Amino acid sequence: MIHLKIDALKPGMVLARSVYNQQDLLLLEKGTALTKKRIWMLKTWGIDQVSLKGRGQNDEPSVYEAEFETRESIERELQAKFADVIDDPIMQKIMKAAGRQLQKSLTDPDKQNETT
Amino acid sequence: MKPPDIDRVISRVEDLPTLPRTVLRITELVNDPTSSARDLARIITDDQVLAARLLKLVNSSFYGFPQKISTITGAIVLLGFDAIRNLLLTTSVFDLFSNRKKISLIRQEQFWDHSLGCAVAAKVIGNHLRYDKVEELFVAGLLHDIGKIVEMIFLPQAFKDINHLVKNKNILMIAAEEKVLGYGHPEVGKLLAERWNLPPKLITVILHHHQPSAAGRFAFEAAIVHLADILSRSLNIGYAGDNKIPALDKPAWDSLRIRPQAIESLLAAISKEFDDISLFITYTP
Repeated sequence: MIHLKIDALKPGMVLARSVYNQQDLLLLEKGTALTKKRIWMLKTWGIDQVSLKGRGQNDEPSVYEAEFETRESIERELQAKFADVIDDPIMQKIMKAAGRQLQKSLTDPDKQNETT
Repeated sequence: MKPPDIDRVISRVEDLPTLPRTVLRITELVNDPTSSARDLARIITDDQVLAARLLKLVNSSFYGFPQKISTITGAIVLLGFDAIRNLLLTTSVFDLFSNRKKISLIRQEQFWDHSLGCAVAAKVIGNHLRYDKVEELFVAGLLHDIGKIVEMIFLPQAFKDINHLVKNKNILMIAAEEKVLGYGHPEVGKLLAERWNLPPKLITVILHHHQPSAAGRFAFEAAIVHLADILSRSLNIGYAGDNKIPALDKPAWDSLRIRPQAIESLLAAISKEFDDISLFITYTP
């Protein structure tokens, strides 16, 4: 588990702990994958720092490792989702194209810093 | 405990929320050939929330008009009556269900994202196929799973059992619904759509989005929403209540005549348009 400041969050990262606001209202459940919109929502609630799945070195949070893990989890998730329909060649094409698109969103710098 | 049968749901449909008056009045106006843009503008400007939403939306990159549109009449002239009606229907429908019972915030937001994702995907596919009324496809995508919300609110125990089954067996929600209730969210959604007097095309697409080939004269539109559901789920947009992708209906896919090579660009367009629009039509409980 690593702890990151809100500004270091990227879409695709997965929460290791649930996030609550000041009034203890559940905002995002543990295990939720972050999206641009959810990061934006956390910012609007004034959340400062969150815990993410991934490994860090010493006390230094490692963004790289968190990202590495999400790259793999994208593949894993897609394969699990498509498991029952993968005999269909068109569904195979959709799965592969979706995988590429999801990986792209993960690394696209335009998609990481937008806040509005 | 025996699950409530669909007749009981039908009898309780009388309890279902009705559409906001403004949207109903707009629907009447749109169907009246003698009404003018000014009549419509007057009704919309009476409702400040709707007016603000409309202006926000027409000025979003989703529509991509080069200059800023600052008046409701301007928006109506640019978009047309039907498009406006559909837009307002869109933004009003989910208000009806907000803040209901103990549905978690994240659950509502994710469901809304799934609906919006399917709506955007249906529009993108419609554009690709040069379908002339993409706004209708957008609304159909937005409402395709509305039956799930009805279940959530009116059949809470069955809904709990359904979710339990989805989680334990890792199956599609519709498969779990059929086991628990004996019918699925498409049938439930159809009831609500009829109660709201939505157009027959919309009712049919809601009912048949899992078996588009059975949708008769609206099979083409149902096929588009069916594919839109699959594509938006593949991109992890929102959460439809399960972790599986529905099987592609082969005749429906063939009827669309989309080249397999086009899938990549369709997905890219859906991803981009969803990011653009979701910040404008945000679900606010």
